[in-house]
Amino acid sequence: MFDVIPTAFIFFAAAAILLALPKGPARGLLLLITPIIAGVQVWNAGFGNFVQVGFFGFELELMRIDGLSRIFTMVFCLAAFLGNLYAWHVRDTVQQVAALLYAGSAIGAVLAGDMITLFFYWEGTAIASVFLIWARRTEGAYNTGMRYLIIQVASGVVLIAGVALFYRETGSIAFERMTLGSPGTWLIFMSFGVKCAFPLLHNWLQDSYPAATVTGTVILSAFTTKLAVYALARGFAGTEILIYIGTVMTLFPIFFAEIENDLRRVLAYSLNNQLGFMVVGIGIGTEMALNGTASHAFAHILYKSLLFMSVGAVLFRTGTSKASELGGLYRTMPKTAIFCLVGAASISAFPLFSGFVTKSLTLSAVAEEHRLIIWLCLVFASAGVLSHSGIKIPFFAFFAHDSGKRPKEAPTHMLWAMGITAFLCIAIGIYPAPLYAILPFEVQDAHPYTTGHVTSQLQLLLFALLAFTFLYRKGIHPPEIRAVNVDTDWTYRKAGPAVIYWLAWVVGSIYNGIIGLLAKTTTRTIRRLHNSHGPEGRMARNWPTGAMVLAIAVLLGATLLVNFLI
Amino acid sequence: MAQKPKDDPATYPALGRMLGWVDKPGSDKKIVWALVVACAMALAIEWTFTPHGTFQVEYIRGFYAAYGFVMFTGLILVAKALRYFIKRPEDYYGDKAIDTEEYPADQLDIREYTDV
Repeated sequence: MFDVIPTAFIFFAAAAILLALPKGPARGLLLLITPIIAGVQVWNAGFGNFVQVGFFGFELELMRIDGLSRIFTMVFCLAAFLGNLYAWHVRDTVQQVAALLYAGSAIGAVLAGDMITLFFYWEGTAIASVFLIWARRTEGAYNTGMRYLIIQVASGVVLIAGVALFYRETGSIAFERMTLGSPGTWLIFMSFGVKCAFPLLHNWLQDSYPAATVTGTVILSAFTTKLAVYALARGFAGTEILIYIGTVMTLFPIFFAEIENDLRRVLAYSLNNQLGFMVVGIGIGTEMALNGTASHAFAHILYKSLLFMSVGAVLFRTGTSKASELGGLYRTMPKTAIFCLVGAASISAFPLFSGFVTKSLTLSAVAEEHRLIIWLCLVFASAGVLSHSGIKIPFFAFFAHDSGKRPKEAPTHMLWAMGITAFLCIAIGIYPAPLYAILPFEVQDAHPYTTGHVTSQLQLLLFALLAFTFLYRKGIHPPEIRAVNVDTDWTYRKAGPAVIYWLAWVVGSIYNGIIGLLAKTTTRTIRRLHNSHGPEGRMARNWPTGAMVLAIAVLLGATLLVNFLI
Repeated sequence: MAQKPKDDPATYPALGRMLGWVDKPGSDKKIVWALVVACAMALAIEWTFTPHGTFQVEYIRGFYAAYGFVMFTGLILVAKALRYFIKRPEDYYGDKAIDTEEYPADQLDIREYTDV
């Protein structure tokens, strides 16, 4: 049917084959081999449009490989491999199938050359991924999954509405760079914005990721939001409003992350902040900025997975990921602790770690545009990243006060998954050339390791660490306490239901009032009639027995007369 | 959260025992001093070359150090204030939310380090 099998179909076929395999290593191997095959296929295919199919008069492009789609596909394959390795112990068919369909959909969406294909895969990621949340099999996870699904599917519905308007306007469904302006493009933009967790549209992320299974969160963290980043980079590069949206995104989550107790939710806030850097890069839209976004997405998927893996391992061994319940785990989980520190150093952009060489591209691109305020915000956000992901996650889980917990070290396959990811984080940091080589545009004179750059970054991070040390030792740093913090999910988890209850009460009261009034009036009427016409009624009393006898006599007389006449 | 009674550091993994240095009495002071020295070095090294950058502020020596320290402190203080407004009890969203329910134990492998 096709000259080339669309890469997404490799994952879908693997999901079907998986069901035929017995539970155990055979399935585990299939889950590991599939992303490798997909990665090799895309890498060897070269650039071009490979698969076209007709669909109700439209020509769909299922395999568009170019610089931008290739790097996202490669990192998605890598993330799927690492996530599946981390999930080697999982025997739950639902999660295994969901992981394959989810990765396949995300890759399919990245390779989509038109927006109808994009829509199908867009919804595919929503539907497949919710099973990674539901697989926890608790009522809380079910409810969270429902909220997640509604928002994700709604994003797809908005997308297809936008595509329809865009098609009417331009006659094209090609997924290319658009200019924000018409209702169609705005709808498409907002649809991407929901999945990319724009400010005020963000809270599905922090709501749902901590609700997924131990391994599910690792897989979730890689795809959906980075697919949205890809979609924005493809469709709206150079859209100025993204610079401001992205800047806000880098800033507000760092405050929430600082006071959040559930470490997996801290990481979800941190993820949101990292997306902000990528969105700013897209907003700038120059080649250097888009390179910054793509490379940051690549590095980010790795170190964010690594952090989710290490916190997941803690949850797997202790049953909790709440900072208030943890601490001092380095004693018996030293390898996990060290891998976590590598992830923390990478996300904080310490020199020699991956974040340093990728974030610098975005910051340089912002500087080149002479946007001082944005630049200052991003530098501040970089210090903020250090505070929650660089310090809080490793410090409060593995060091700080001794929780008394002495969990066993993470299982071997988890250590391997974390080890490989940690190795890649360091490798990219030390030798970024291979990563720079696969960026969408040619990297021109990127020298992250200049004395000035290393010094300034070290100053920023070390003095921020110094501030932390000072605040922590003085007891000013906010302690880890068992609590939740309200965010925009309050509107639909508390305010929305409260309004509905109130409306129900008002409508119910009015209804009951009217029904009560009607019932009362009817009862009163019946009672009145009963009083007048009932057996004891006044009317009844006015009919003496004689009258009845007279009436019967008249009736009998009439009958006799009729008989006589006939 | 008390220490387990039969907790013997000698049985920890070797790497864990090595990292145990951080909790030895006096180690915290050494770490802080090492950090102070590192900060001082990062600051001092800036005088060995001419800073360059796009913005004026980048030419101010020690700008990043001051910015990092001040903004980090500000962040913590603002976050602390924010907590005052948005903190709610853990069961705020009822008992059918993930914040209050236990993670299902059958999906985990909770083990002590002494367990085989």
